[in-house]
Amino acid sequence: MEDVHERELVERCRSGDERAFQELVDRYKDLVFALIARTVQDRSRAEDLSQDVFLRVHRGLPYFRGEARLSTWIYRIVANVCLHDHGRAPRTAPLDEAQHADALSTADRQFTDLEVRDRLEKAIARLPANYRLLIAAHYLRGVQYEELAEALQLPLGTEDAQLYRAKQQLRRLLETDLQ
Amino acid sequence: MFCDEALDTIEAIAADELMPDGRVAAHLASCPNCAAALVSARALEQMLKRRVVPATPQQFTSRTMARVRRARWRNDQFLDVGFNVAVGLVVLTVVAGVWMLLNRSGLAVVSNDAVDLLGTGLVTFFRRVTPSLPLYAGAAAVLATALGIWWWAERDAAL
Repeated sequence: MEDVHERELVERCRSGDERAFQELVDRYKDLVFALIARTVQDRSRAEDLSQDVFLRVHRGLPYFRGEARLSTWIYRIVANVCLHDHGRAPRTAPLDEAQHADALSTADRQFTDLEVRDRLEKAIARLPANYRLLIAAHYLRGVQYEELAEALQLPLGTEDAQLYRAKQQLRRLLETDLQ
Repeated sequence: MFCDEALDTIEAIAADELMPDGRVAAHLASCPNCAAALVSARALEQMLKRRVVPATPQQFTSRTMARVRRARWRNDQFLDVGFNVAVGLVVLTVVAGVWMLLNRSGLAVVSNDAVDLLGTGLVTFFRRVTPSLPLYAGAAAVLATALGIWWWAERDAAL
């Protein structure tokens, strides 16, 4: 049922229906933005890159043959955009800090949480882009593991191994940071 | 069992995706370094699970649609310019082709003669007509006046 609706949506987009494309953006924007924002860690850059993803989708729809699911294809574009983003180095202040800046003025516990989050985001920013994307996607609800593996052109077992390696590297970075 | 072997499984155990078998469990119980690594991996797992999901900016869709429209407009413009240039090139090619054909077949000489003839004819026509121009101008003025009076009379009758 979902597949049929998706195919209809793609067909409507292909025929130049602007509302259909808007529906597509509305359907995938949260996932795309969350994935990118967790990977590049700069909110305005993340928005630019997310818009780039949808521009590429719009440009590529006439050539989309429907062999893979639409979401898999979108993940692939997200992966390409994130892996080839050399536009700006990640800023020092993490994304979460910007969203919770008011927490600084509240209790000490919250401040400690913020500090821990800050350290985590800084450590994640030091990971290679493919590891950042894997970690971002793995802990996001709605991302299908199989589809992500297909998008990154990884066999399923390899993706697990890569994820463990990413977390191992992240743990080492955090431990080094704490020392 | 060596630490390397146990450490390879730490992340999977911390994510509850692997149950440590007897050898690994025994090693973790006896090796303080590996046990500490597991504690640290579990803490990291919790931190990653609690990581805030970035909220999509407001008006993201409208801003994206505006960019899509701009890109489409630019693409259309590019196509228009491309089409015009292509048409221009085709016209130039046709003209050049016809010119080459005329030159090679010797028809160019004939056409030059035809152009000369036409030019001479026009010059002769204007030379003959020029002396009578005041007469034609007077006749045209009389005709225009007559038409004007007729139009004025008709307009008055309609009122």
